[in-house]
Amino acid sequence: MSEVLLEVKNLKKHFVPHLTLAQTLAGGKKRVIKAVDGVSFSIMKGEIFGLIGESGSGKTTTGKLIMKLIEPTSGTITFDGEDVTFTNKAKTQEYRRKVQMIFQDPYASMNPRFKIRDVLLEPLIIHKMHGNRAEQIERVLKALTEVKLTPPEEFLVRYPHMLSGGQRQRTATARTLILNPKMLVADEPVSMIDLSTRAEILHMMKEVQRDLGLTYLYITHDLSTARYFTDRIAVMYLGRIVEMGPADEIIDNPIHPYTQALIAAVPEPQAGKVDIIKKLPISGEIPSPANIPSGCRFHTRCPYATEACANNPEPELMDAGNGHFHACARWKEIPKAQ
Amino acid sequence: MSQFMEFWNEFKRDKSGLVGLGILILCILLVVFEPLIIPYKEAGTKWRSIEYWQDNSQSAPPVWTNLFTKTKQAASADLRDFSKTVDADGNTIYQFHYNYQYDLAPYDLIIRAVGTGTIPLTVSVMRPDKQVIELFSTSLYNLSENEPIRISILNSSRDSALSFVREFESEENFGNIQTMSAGVTEIIFSEAKPGFVQNQIPLKGNYIFEIKVSQPIAEEGQEIPKVYFEEPHISVVGRVSGLLGTDNSKRDIFSGIIAGLKWALLIGFFTSIISVFVGVIYGIITAYFGGKVDSAMMFFWDYFISLPVLPILIVAAAIFKPSIWTLVGVLIVFSWAGSVKTVRSIALQIKEETFVEAARALGASHGRIIFRHMAPILIPYSFASMALAVPGAIIYESTVSLLGLGDTTVVTWGQILNDAYQGQAMLTGLWWWIIPPGLAIAIIGMTFAFLGFALDRILHPKLQTR
Amino acid sequence: MENLLEVKNLRLYYHTSKGAVKALDDVSFSLKEGETLGLVGESGCGKTTTGVALLKMPSPPGRIEKGSQIIIDGTDIVPLSDKEIRKNIRWEKISMVFQGAMNCLTPVYTIGRQMLETLNEHRMMEEKQAVELIKEYLGHVGLPPEVMNRYPHELSGGMKQRVVIASALFLKPRLVILDEPTTALDVIVQAQIINLLKELKKTFNLSFIFITHDLALEAEVSDRICVMYAGKIAELGTNAQIYGKEPLHPYTQKLLQATPLLHKKVDTLAFIPGTPPDLINPPTGCRFNPRCHCTMEKCFTEEPPLIEVEPGHQVACWRCVK
Ligand SMILES: Nc1ncnc2c1ncn2[C@@H]1O[C@H](COP(=O)(O)OP(=O)(O)OP(=O)(O)O)[C@@H](O)[C@H]1O
Ligand SMILES: Nc1ncnc2c1ncn2[C@@H]1O[C@H](COP(=O)(O)OP(=O)(O)OP(=O)(O)O)[C@@H](O)[C@H]1O
Ligand SMILES: [Mg+2]
Ligand SMILES: [Mg+2]
Repeated sequence: MSEVLLEVKNLKKHFVPHLTLAQTLAGGKKRVIKAVDGVSFSIMKGEIFGLIGESGSGKTTTGKLIMKLIEPTSGTITFDGEDVTFTNKAKTQEYRRKVQMIFQDPYASMNPRFKIRDVLLEPLIIHKMHGNRAEQIERVLKALTEVKLTPPEEFLVRYPHMLSGGQRQRTATARTLILNPKMLVADEPVSMIDLSTRAEILHMMKEVQRDLGLTYLYITHDLSTARYFTDRIAVMYLGRIVEMGPADEIIDNPIHPYTQALIAAVPEPQAGKVDIIKKLPISGEIPSPANIPSGCRFHTRCPYATEACANNPEPELMDAGNGHFHACARWKEIPKAQ
Repeated sequence: MSQFMEFWNEFKRDKSGLVGLGILILCILLVVFEPLIIPYKEAGTKWRSIEYWQDNSQSAPPVWTNLFTKTKQAASADLRDFSKTVDADGNTIYQFHYNYQYDLAPYDLIIRAVGTGTIPLTVSVMRPDKQVIELFSTSLYNLSENEPIRISILNSSRDSALSFVREFESEENFGNIQTMSAGVTEIIFSEAKPGFVQNQIPLKGNYIFEIKVSQPIAEEGQEIPKVYFEEPHISVVGRVSGLLGTDNSKRDIFSGIIAGLKWALLIGFFTSIISVFVGVIYGIITAYFGGKVDSAMMFFWDYFISLPVLPILIVAAAIFKPSIWTLVGVLIVFSWAGSVKTVRSIALQIKEETFVEAARALGASHGRIIFRHMAPILIPYSFASMALAVPGAIIYESTVSLLGLGDTTVVTWGQILNDAYQGQAMLTGLWWWIIPPGLAIAIIGMTFAFLGFALDRILHPKLQTR
Repeated sequence: MENLLEVKNLRLYYHTSKGAVKALDDVSFSLKEGETLGLVGESGCGKTTTGVALLKMPSPPGRIEKGSQIIIDGTDIVPLSDKEIRKNIRWEKISMVFQGAMNCLTPVYTIGRQMLETLNEHRMMEEKQAVELIKEYLGHVGLPPEVMNRYPHELSGGMKQRVVIASALFLKPRLVILDEPTTALDVIVQAQIINLLKELKKTFNLSFIFITHDLALEAEVSDRICVMYAGKIAELGTNAQIYGKEPLHPYTQKLLQATPLLHKKVDTLAFIPGTPPDLINPPTGCRFNPRCHCTMEKCFTEEPPLIEVEPGHQVACWRCVK
């Protein structure tokens, strides 16, 4: 449990969109969108690591960087002790076999013209694994069983549109398992599925993780599933991690005001809250990553911000003990969330 | 299968699509059963053979024009049924029945057969009024093996016709007739009474033509030579001919149109399928790779799309030997660009779809993503644009042919139109030479347009992948 | 308080080529002035269908069947003509924030133009007056008036949802149907929108029908909760009756157990096995029987009626029939 599988150091991704002709003529300057702006964390072997944050905080971009679907602007990614930030084709292919991704939208992540059989055979064909077709089918059936789609034969000939959202997400999981990866990146795998199935999928994913000894990077904006699902959590805001630590610790003793806001916003099924207007310790909307506030990037929305927060250099992650890190300069003054 | 049924259920609701489909099926049936349908079986291959068409009448209107005129004109026909008897002297007699029910006699009657050696031959006709005219009597010498025999009554029977007239006409009248060009066929098919040549009254009824092949007399000391005289038939060269008349080279236009159909379809299909295929792949590649590749490929595309097709086609046809295949080739070169822009914009959307990203995350190669993931999504669009590209291709071929640059070894609608133009069909009022090929081009174009629109309407929304 | 809305035996079938999809089968409920009624249930249980039925605008093969009654302010709107509905009911009395409406804003027109169009669709007014009205309502939903000149892609998800909500309020309706207004948003924006809705409700004295599949969210907004399953009401009760103690219908119980809790770490979450039934041929007896963990013989043969077990608390389960 203590061996590091994936380590990300000071990872940055700055998008520079091309200007249109009209914009160039108007003398427009190129905007730099700092989607990921210096993220560092490490994920242990066999751990479920949660990446939490609002929409636009750069979670998906981080996931894609780790998947090597996009190239980082700077920083390093180390996987299993090997630097994989920039690799040649063969190495990339090998990496792809080890790290797999489950996408948010189960309706869009499979080619609508592929039968489930073809969806699941694809990774095997690409990586020329498991010998002949019969053996490959064998593997496909096994993967379907692993994600509890039974009887597996019945699903082979179906098209994705003939499956429910939950079944699709199972299939997507099966597709990633087929290559026996070491790590899965799951980008909001249940946010588009029904509540009743959500629990089932998370349960299944957890079982698979235990059985196969997998490591997960779980991306979500929903802290309540993160609590149930993850071991450790990193809270991301505008391309940076503002708090990181064990899931229980983060949720029970949040230090950073942003984490407190995220927690306060989560609805809970309890009676008697209808007439209360919730106090949210956060104001306004997330600023554009093309225009990141100075100092602590959260100060524009922080109820506890002082002038110093805006003027001082951006606080780095600080150790609060118990593996709990945070990036709030005024953490001593901030009242504990109830 | 259920997908197909779903598609079909949708398609059924589209009236114009159904019409298009109906006509297309009809066209395909026409091509398949072409030999059974056209009266001139070799019209396609012998379109430019003068010999093949020589028994036809020139510039004859379609048969059905008789329905609208008071004087019914004799229609072209081929008398093939005969009875064969051998008389006591060993002469073989072939009898043909011709039921004549018109007001205007045919231009000519042509005796056709194949024969070998020397053949003495007498042809006579017995009219409904029991008058018998011996049309001519001749001997064909030293025919080589199965040599075709062709004897025109118009040319060979003038004397006998005149002597037949003499039987009925006064001397004085007869003198006039000789100077005027009394038609042989008109004499044969008119009631025989004084003054009948000036004032012809058609004699309707059953005519029996008799071809007598005499037993040749053996020369001294030699065996009687055997006479070969086979496949006799009589071509009636009518004043109206076929379903769509004939042109000024005596060709049957109906046969030409039907024989041209397969070329129209072939040009349409080949050009549209290949050019759409190329265009789709090109569009996907430029969209998929984006960036510099996209810029370069779109620059090249811009160049192609701005080239004027027709002038280049004309130049190309003038330089190369104009075969139908070079034509198709040139058409493909210039029409693939048409679908690129749309494909590119659709492909740009597909590229952003999660399943493409998922495939990349699995390590799929560019080729795999392009051909396995993106191209199939564009199949519906391709079908629609193929259908829509067909009329254009047919019309381009027709235009090139109309300018006299077409492939002369086949018959296409454009060439029929070109011939009509050359033959001044417009000026001489040979409307049946212009309207049918023009209409055929329009109909086939419309058919595919209908189909294309229907496919487009039904399949396009399905582009949304959910 | 009087009933603003009364729905009696509402039946809406989608007449598809494969048969009638019984999307709503004998649904009855009422709504008091100023109240929020929550509709919860899994995907496909008929929540949206209920919403559009109240506006009398079911999507194409759908038809409100005979015997259904939708009484608003004392008048049954089912027999009314389309013209009358448009003139007096839609947007005048009831309006709706459609599911995913924020993603359906046309990318090529400005927000102002699109809001004007919505307005004109329901009531013609002078442009100047209309623009003033739009600005006023943008203010009500917490957006600056400049938003009018912006394009949808320039707005965040939360801002777009605010625009859509403003558009539903123009003509001062008394009832607003909110169909999954926060599903696509993150938790913080969701909480902000919920707060906004609560404020708007007070300012305009509105009633809401709040549709979502998230039971936890429903607890924070709805006075009464209506749990739907396969086109029928499974349980209907006050907020306290559903969340205060154990709910009565096994379906509701399971749904609640399946909701992950922030402040309570659990090892395993309960879930409901299987999927909702095919609504063309729903199971006989109780429609929930294939997935229920506590069935009796009767559940397979007879449909349980919706009965009142205590004041204001209705359940359709044979276990609750004494
Ligand atoms: N290809 C790109 N070009 C320009 N900007 C981008 C690109 N991809 C992402 N961004 C921007 O980067 C920021 C972070 O995006 P990202 O998708 O990582 O956020 P997220 O945390 O996953 O949000 P969500 O919860 O909405 O999925 C956003 O502001 C987004 O607009
Ligand atoms: N236009 C339609 N034609 C046929 N069936 C339909 C149509 N619209 C909805 N249905 C069916 O009616 C049932 C109820 O659909 P409805 O959209 O009301 O569900 P919902 O509860 O809103 O679900 P979701 O949470 O997915 O929005 C579903 O089974 C659905 O498949
Ligand atoms: Mg994301
Ligand atoms: Mg809905």
